[in-house]
Amino acid sequence: MTEVRFYGHGLPDLKKKRLSGRLVVLEGTDGVGRSTQIALLREWLEKEGYAVGATGLKRGKLAGRGLRQAMRGHTLGNITMNLLYATDFVDRLERLIIPALRASFVVLTDRYIYSMIARAQVRGVDPVWLRNVFGFALIPDAVFYLQADVSHLVPRVLNARGFDHWESGMDFLRAPDYYESFVDYQTRLLAQFDAMAGEFGFVRIDANRGIHDVFQDLQAGIEEVVKDMKPPKQPKEGKKDAKRAK
Amino acid sequence: MAWLADGRDLPGKLFIVEGIDGSGKSTQLDMLRKWLVGQGYCVAFSEWNSSPIVRTITRRGKKKQLLTPTSFSFIHAADFADRMERQMLPALKAGAIVLADRYVYTAFARDAARGVHPDWVRQVYSFAIQPTEAFYFRVTMDESLTRISNGRPKLKYYEAGMDLGLSKDPQESYKLFQSRILEEYEKMIAEFGLRVIDATLPLLAQHDQVREIVQPHLSNALLAERTGWREVLAAEVLEGRYLDEIVAPGGQP
Repeated sequence: MTEVRFYGHGLPDLKKKRLSGRLVVLEGTDGVGRSTQIALLREWLEKEGYAVGATGLKRGKLAGRGLRQAMRGHTLGNITMNLLYATDFVDRLERLIIPALRASFVVLTDRYIYSMIARAQVRGVDPVWLRNVFGFALIPDAVFYLQADVSHLVPRVLNARGFDHWESGMDFLRAPDYYESFVDYQTRLLAQFDAMAGEFGFVRIDANRGIHDVFQDLQAGIEEVVKDMKPPKQPKEGKKDAKRAK
Repeated sequence: MAWLADGRDLPGKLFIVEGIDGSGKSTQLDMLRKWLVGQGYCVAFSEWNSSPIVRTITRRGKKKQLLTPTSFSFIHAADFADRMERQMLPALKAGAIVLADRYVYTAFARDAARGVHPDWVRQVYSFAIQPTEAFYFRVTMDESLTRISNGRPKLKYYEAGMDLGLSKDPQESYKLFQSRILEEYEKMIAEFGLRVIDATLPLLAQHDQVREIVQPHLSNALLAERTGWREVLAAEVLEGRYLDEIVAPGGQP
């Protein structure tokens, strides 16, 4: 991260102008393979000698559990849900992401405000309000958007954990079953992501391809982001270690 | 009339009370509620920071002191949104009277006192329904302190604004924090047209002022259903003093 920049009013307590780490976002709809890629990227970056942090939606210490609990009840209103997501996100941003960036970490995040905005817009929430609410978000160094067609998503979701109430938009769509609802919902989400790509400067990655191809594209993109960080060279073998000690 | 954020009006009426701790606003709201129920109106009630969905998160944040000004602000916004979506909005759409103990102005005052950008907080809450009337119970710092110290054993960490690092002494910190909040309220009187009530007046004198302002809005408010027990009360000329304890405001025993 070269400069601290926000989408809107920013955070009241962050007075720093620069953070030495890098913030990299992976975005994309459900089942597109974000978590797989993050696991691979994390290992690769660590092998290259970078300190890496990883985080994702609903994983914060403050509100992660509460949000998951609330979603189990299926009674959340739209505005409330967005504000709970925002609570979880700002908690992770202030207490996890920013401290890691300060300590020169490469922070990989599985989704960012864009997913929250997309899922809310599909449900008819005011786009201006959403951008204001998430105005405290730090502008990342890069946003990679994993883009796949719905036809590719369906088998992946079925192979993983099956259709989910919210990921199928069952809370607001009136489709006869999970499958049709999922297809309808994800099609609408993809349209939202597509429309946001220009506004937020997404780097598009074709995720209809195999995992390895996607990984190589991401590697190339992230190499650009971290190239002037110069990680401390890590001794890989005992020999080099011994040399250094001298 | 109450208004939706997009300008459409709702058939119900929304009356809200604001003021610092110890201003007596909750007492006044309770008196208003009893009067309205007694008049036969259908009255719903909503209290700041009471949503069951957000409660576990708030408790966790306070206990472990995880809260920052921004996350604190969001928790309260989520609490407010949940109460609005599930309690206040449906009741107002049905034409009922809704009474709220604290409203968005509490967030505006407290968050600004914590250093959050005032415009941002207003944007976050821009979905809120415009109240029919908003009452601000004005009291001095000293008066509120004497009132509070009577009923409260120990100030809690966030309540005293200890997270702001204003003072190491909870009493002193509370005082500084509350006076910041007081300043914010004063600024909002003109901005939002708050109805100022002098909270040092006798309780009934305040109540009369509130009634006078509320009265003109009641012409077509929804009446509570004449349920069985209400008829008994009317026929027997009873007040239902003890029924009150088992009846949800405006609801059934």
